[in-house]
Amino acid sequence: MALYQREPYTTADRSKVAANESDEEENALVEDYKEQVHFDDDMGELDRTASFGTSGGPHDMQAQLTAAATPLEYGAALDTKFASYDNYCNLFHYILNSEGPVDLEVPTYFWAWDVIDEFIYQFESFCRYRNRIARQEPSSDDAQLLRDNPNTWGCYSVLNVLYSLIQRSQINEQLDSMKRNEDPNQVAGEYGTRPLYRMLGYFSIIGLLRVHCLLGDFSLALKTLDDIELNKKAMFARVMAAHFTTYYYVGFSYMMMRRYADAIRMFSHILVYVSRTKNFQKNAQYDSVSKKNDQMYALIAICVAFNPTKLDDTIHTALREKYGDQLVRLQRGGPEALPLFEDLFRTACPKFISPTPPDFDTPELNVDPVDHHCRIFMEEVKNTMWSPTVKSYLKLYTTMDLKKLAGFLEVEPEKLRGWLLVNKQRSRQVRWSEGALLDGEVVNGSDLDYAMQGDLIHVSEAKVGRRLVDWYLRNLARTY
Amino acid sequence: MGIAFDYAPDRPEHIEAILNGLDRYNPETTTIFQDYVTQQCEDRTYDCYANLALLKLYQFNPHLTRDEPTTNILVKALTVFPSPDFSLLLHLLPPHILSPTSTSSASGPTPAAGDAPLSEAVQKLSLLNSLLEQANYSGFWATLDSDDLYADLIADVNGFEELMRVRIASCVGQGCREVERGVCEGWLNLSGKEFEGFVTEICGWGIDHSDGSTAVIRIPVNKENEAKGTVVREEVRFDQFSRVIRRAYEQPA
Repeated sequence: MALYQREPYTTADRSKVAANESDEEENALVEDYKEQVHFDDDMGELDRTASFGTSGGPHDMQAQLTAAATPLEYGAALDTKFASYDNYCNLFHYILNSEGPVDLEVPTYFWAWDVIDEFIYQFESFCRYRNRIARQEPSSDDAQLLRDNPNTWGCYSVLNVLYSLIQRSQINEQLDSMKRNEDPNQVAGEYGTRPLYRMLGYFSIIGLLRVHCLLGDFSLALKTLDDIELNKKAMFARVMAAHFTTYYYVGFSYMMMRRYADAIRMFSHILVYVSRTKNFQKNAQYDSVSKKNDQMYALIAICVAFNPTKLDDTIHTALREKYGDQLVRLQRGGPEALPLFEDLFRTACPKFISPTPPDFDTPELNVDPVDHHCRIFMEEVKNTMWSPTVKSYLKLYTTMDLKKLAGFLEVEPEKLRGWLLVNKQRSRQVRWSEGALLDGEVVNGSDLDYAMQGDLIHVSEAKVGRRLVDWYLRNLARTY
Repeated sequence: MGIAFDYAPDRPEHIEAILNGLDRYNPETTTIFQDYVTQQCEDRTYDCYANLALLKLYQFNPHLTRDEPTTNILVKALTVFPSPDFSLLLHLLPPHILSPTSTSSASGPTPAAGDAPLSEAVQKLSLLNSLLEQANYSGFWATLDSDDLYADLIADVNGFEELMRVRIASCVGQGCREVERGVCEGWLNLSGKEFEGFVTEICGWGIDHSDGSTAVIRIPVNKENEAKGTVVREEVRFDQFSRVIRRAYEQPA
């Protein structure tokens, strides 16, 4: 019933509108213009409902849906960013707070992903822009404008949208019942049974993963995915960009929680997938993936330096091609490797944001969040930078005198004792085996183990025995 | 099965409920979390996941930030080194907190007397954390004694020094079978009778004087310090042979 009341928004023949690109562009331009006019009208008080509720015709609706999923042009003016925020507010308000579920025909299959992705991207770039202005040009006009509108693109409203979409669609309940092999429609409710809401809800979970990660809350980021099972059958796997984003942020969060083996598993999974499907990807889509692709190789290089592992052959080859020299230096460790760790981290980390308006009056307090997170990460690198050295020597012996080894390394014995303890502690890592992403058990990730008996170091190694069964079976099959 | 990061055995139900709902973002729950931090400090429990939620509330509502719970949370995180908890908490603090300039600029407009600015406290605690993570335990104790500010910071955390000793002992126990007494005393910052009592009663280790001049602490063998070489053998499952066996039935003789 409520649906029909909304009829005016949805009657137009969408397929025609979508096909006619110039028409659509024109509409978007008109819409843009209207927004700007509206913006000039009342700059102080950004009214959330005006532009959508009153100027709405069917074409407007469609243009708005498309606009919501389209990136702003590079270096868009601040007014445009404000206007875009308003548009999102209106759109989500309409989707969430109309009487009953709305019946929208979305422009493309990927629309739900695109709109969430773009929404968060704009939030991210707005926060970063605001922070930069406060740091570098605290007396500019833009700074004044930002100072006057502290609530635009606020973290609470962004989270509110994502959580509301999740709740409306009952997506967590749906996923949970799918896990138990029950019919998700039983728990989906009036909204959640509709593909629009289900998709928006689902991708909002991925969106939350990303937002939490951008804010530096890595454990909560992983916790958000509790109900999503990471496998090829997952819903996100159907949208390449979503698939990719999910694994990048999950992998990154694991890395920041020092669960390097899990991080490597995540990055490897998606990079292998990308390399296998490379030829089927449309070029435009692949380009956007390709930058993140390189970032993930950089992250794998970092993780492997922390936690030497045998990688998948495809990944190993590609890693050597892209970061061959660097990888060798990272794995060697020591103080010379520090700048390299920092470089790679900075090129490959997400663009961290600070959620609250900056302090325009004291510019030096507005440190780039990337610097903050990088500094914390580097602390960990520094604390463990001698592990590769220690390992490379211990590999050669079964017993070793601590003082003698200290002599080789030209350090005081007490310092070496510290390095040995650090390396021992770091070889124990939490690793996922089943259940939610935050679950896991402590395992020894290294094939080298040792214990100190006074000054005597006992070294032991885990060797992989010969693999006989496969060989035996193959020969057996041949002789029959 | 391991333990999930978000699990805390002693977490009260009402905290659990807030953490699992949207109330974790509600500024009104700040006081509840703060009380919970005080409780953790008093009864020696620890709940990193809930403490992260409090810091997140501070992150979103800077005007609510209170220094004392923040530093108490960080001090509590020291007691569980070398877990990543301390870093994870740092990630949620304001970005300027670790930058060296902020201390110098903060000392410009003179903060209220006796009330050290938060960033100075956080940087001091970070230093302690680094020393612990570098396994420089004697350095940790020396630094802790070097400044009165540290005494203020750890004052609220009941049994901090003992908790640290137990934690250090468990790390040492994983890596060593025998330690010279002198070294061990430095690590635990104890000597004489106190040291002997702690090592034998709380850790269950032995003290061996047989060597004469230098006594040796013997740590019983555990899973971590036995460092036994292993050979990873391949696992053979019966169904790998199913084809062979089926063929044996299909073509007898």
